Amino acid sequence: MLRSQPISWDSKMGDGNSGSNRTLSGNNNNSSNKPEWLQQYDLIGKIGEGTYGLVFLARIKSPTTNRGKSIAIKKFKQSKDGDGVSPTAIREIMLLREISHENVVKLVNVHINHADMSLYLAFDYAEHDLYEIIRHHRDKVNHSISQYTVKSLLWQLLNGLNYLHSNWIIHRDLKPSNILVMGEGEEQGVVKIADFGLARIYQAPLKPLSDNGVVVTIWYRAPELLLGAKHYTSAVDMWAVGCIFAELLTLKPLFQGAEVKAPPNPFQLDQLDKIFKVLGHPTPEKWPTLPNLPHWQQDLQHIQGHKYDNTGLNSVVHLSTKSPPYDLLSKMLEYDPRKRITAQQALEHEYFRIEPLPGRNALVGPSVEKVVNYPTRPVDTTTDFEGTTSLQPSQPVSSGNAVSGSMPGTHGGTMRSVPRQMAVGGMQRMQPQGMPAYNLTSQAGMGVGMNPSGIPMQRGVSAQTHQQQQQQLRRKDPAMGMAGYPPQQKSRRM
Amino acid sequence: MADFQTSTHRTKWIFTPQELVEKYKAANQRAIQALEKYGATLMEVDIDGSLSYPEPQTNAKDTADKHSRPKPLNIEEEQYMRVFYENKLQEVCNNFHFPHKIQATALIYFKRFYLQWSIMEHHPKNIMLTCIYGACKIEENHVSAEELGKGISQDHQLILNNEMIVYQSLEFDLIVYAPYRSIDGFVNDIEEFCQTKDDQLHMLKALHETARMEVDKIMLTDAPLLFPPGQLALASLRSSNEVHGVLDFERYLRSILSRQSSAHTISELIESLSAIDSWVRRYKFPSEKDLKHINRKLRSCWGLGSHDESKKREKKSKHKSKKSSNETQNMQS
Repeated sequence: MLRSQPISWDSKMGDGNSGSNRTLSGNNNNSSNKPEWLQQYDLIGKIGEGTYGLVFLARIKSPTTNRGKSIAIKKFKQSKDGDGVSPTAIREIMLLREISHENVVKLVNVHINHADMSLYLAFDYAEHDLYEIIRHHRDKVNHSISQYTVKSLLWQLLNGLNYLHSNWIIHRDLKPSNILVMGEGEEQGVVKIADFGLARIYQAPLKPLSDNGVVVTIWYRAPELLLGAKHYTSAVDMWAVGCIFAELLTLKPLFQGAEVKAPPNPFQLDQLDKIFKVLGHPTPEKWPTLPNLPHWQQDLQHIQGHKYDNTGLNSVVHLSTKSPPYDLLSKMLEYDPRKRITAQQALEHEYFRIEPLPGRNALVGPSVEKVVNYPTRPVDTTTDFEGTTSLQPSQPVSSGNAVSGSMPGTHGGTMRSVPRQMAVGGMQRMQPQGMPAYNLTSQAGMGVGMNPSGIPMQRGVSAQTHQQQQQQLRRKDPAMGMAGYPPQQKSRRM
Repeated sequence: MADFQTSTHRTKWIFTPQELVEKYKAANQRAIQALEKYGATLMEVDIDGSLSYPEPQTNAKDTADKHSRPKPLNIEEEQYMRVFYENKLQEVCNNFHFPHKIQATALIYFKRFYLQWSIMEHHPKNIMLTCIYGACKIEENHVSAEELGKGISQDHQLILNNEMIVYQSLEFDLIVYAPYRSIDGFVNDIEEFCQTKDDQLHMLKALHETARMEVDKIMLTDAPLLFPPGQLALASLRSSNEVHGVLDFERYLRSILSRQSSAHTISELIESLSAIDSWVRRYKFPSEKDLKHINRKLRSCWGLGSHDESKKREKKSKHKSKKSSNETQNMQS
């Protein structure tokens, strides 16, 4: 195990031989002691954290065509058991290598830190996510999200999901913080499904999918999973979409169960209870395979005996039972996964054919009377790429001058007080620095998620953005400046 | 399974025979040049991840006479080594009772890896094990490196050391399509096509089984780098059908093409299937004598050839890490 034997590596390094080896490609021995690949970026700071690792915001220094473009860099921790390269990272990369869709995040580069075998994935940066958008409406502006925006967000989410499902990929971890929305620029208001670390190709798995540990944040977890289903399907994603749809309408999580933390894969009674209270008790008549589900069958906590009145969903979401949005929502929240509406069917639903029609820019549209200025993502400028903080992380992001410790040459925190370019999607090519094997062996260069056609960037940044940043700097962020990654996420993810 | 049509497998990893030859030649040439320059060819992975050839032997210039200089492998000998280790790979997978899919994925990784590198540059045994290890990870049949190493009495550190290099060399295109699922699909389709009655099902079963064995053979050739998995499957079914005589295979091929409104003509398809067959016919496993000869050459390319050098190397390795000394031992084994 590499990690557990740092000494042997050190001694190898100390060996007189390796120092004078003819290195075939990029090395780390430059003066700033920074890997070569990293030098193509200006690190702005940390924007997210999860069990998988950290997410950083960075900007491209070169090449000039993409200069200043914002990039989100996801750093994976090494796998804990010292068993090689992180399987989560590998899985996310390999899936993203095969897929390409407007409503799915774009992997633009992969970097390797050979010293600790960790992987850095570079994505087009998206300024917003549904978690932050919902929170902004709930806590800051006190009015609901416009009908046009809700419908456009939902349609694009379904559009991306339909693409994934038709490619036999289940996301398995859909939740508001994983649904990104592009900020100002050519792709403004475009939805991007992100975080494929738990996604699976589901045709003919070699092992039951549940062997990977229970997934999906419990609030968005489908009832068949909560009841212990072993072989689940793309319908679990549709349940999560239903929960997200309701949350966009009401600004509150639909089923906010308290999570049972232990033992591994515990029975989540409270979460089921929350669902039953709103949707009514499931019955074998409505859901024929229900009696076969382990937790239902064992019934250790007497869920079968609970009886709830029939559905109160319409009153929770304040919709008439005859309205098209209610009809669509109730079809997404169908108990029986086999009867649950598919992404493809949902896209055809009447809701999307009536006014206001969904649009590509979900944030700004003809029928949006008042364009909401969503805050930019808080950035913790005190964290460097190694994830070590030079200040207490609990301090609010405040300073415009905090330059991250070990990143000489970055503009650090000062970036945030200067108008900066918003995330722009689209494809770009980066120099394949720091990936020796590629340079040596492949004409394809990096080969990772690239398209040579660069999409021109908008360079102008409005005064409005500046204002947003001021606003952002003032606000105290309970999530410690890690937008979209609420603290409870850590424990909700197994 | 993501869509094969848009997959990296189809768009990046299916070559023409000419392209294959060129790639093998390029890797071989590069290793030969390294041998001339540095006197050895084995790549070392440094802590910073850069790859380098070892130090030139200090006496390389002194003993520049032709007899003592290590001789490089030629392209055919490299091919033999790949064949040998691909068979080993199947053996290891069978010992672990891994599913076919894992074996096939590991084999394809191994083949793709040695499109980028010469056998002389990376030890095929280590790479083979890392390919198996990676295939298990990707196919969700996770086996720890330690477990894998133990099962075959190999240092698992060698498996882990090469992991990143393997993924990089595969350009992180880790989803591969094996022909086994295609065979299953075609057999189901044939069942319908022939309107098989229950009492004839055993014939289909025999057809299926022989086809699987046929495709195992195909997987050991270069054919998986040249043809899509569906064609590999059809070639194996056609061969199997020659044994069992279950159906009029050409009629079946025509029916597939017409149903898929394929752009391919029947003659193109048959030509591909015959080309796959000929890869199997031309397959050559190296003789004991060949292997001995090649291994001797390989060891000298790795700086382990003559007694003098190997002693020197051993001395040096004592100062080196545990990892490199293990490497040395294993190379000699």
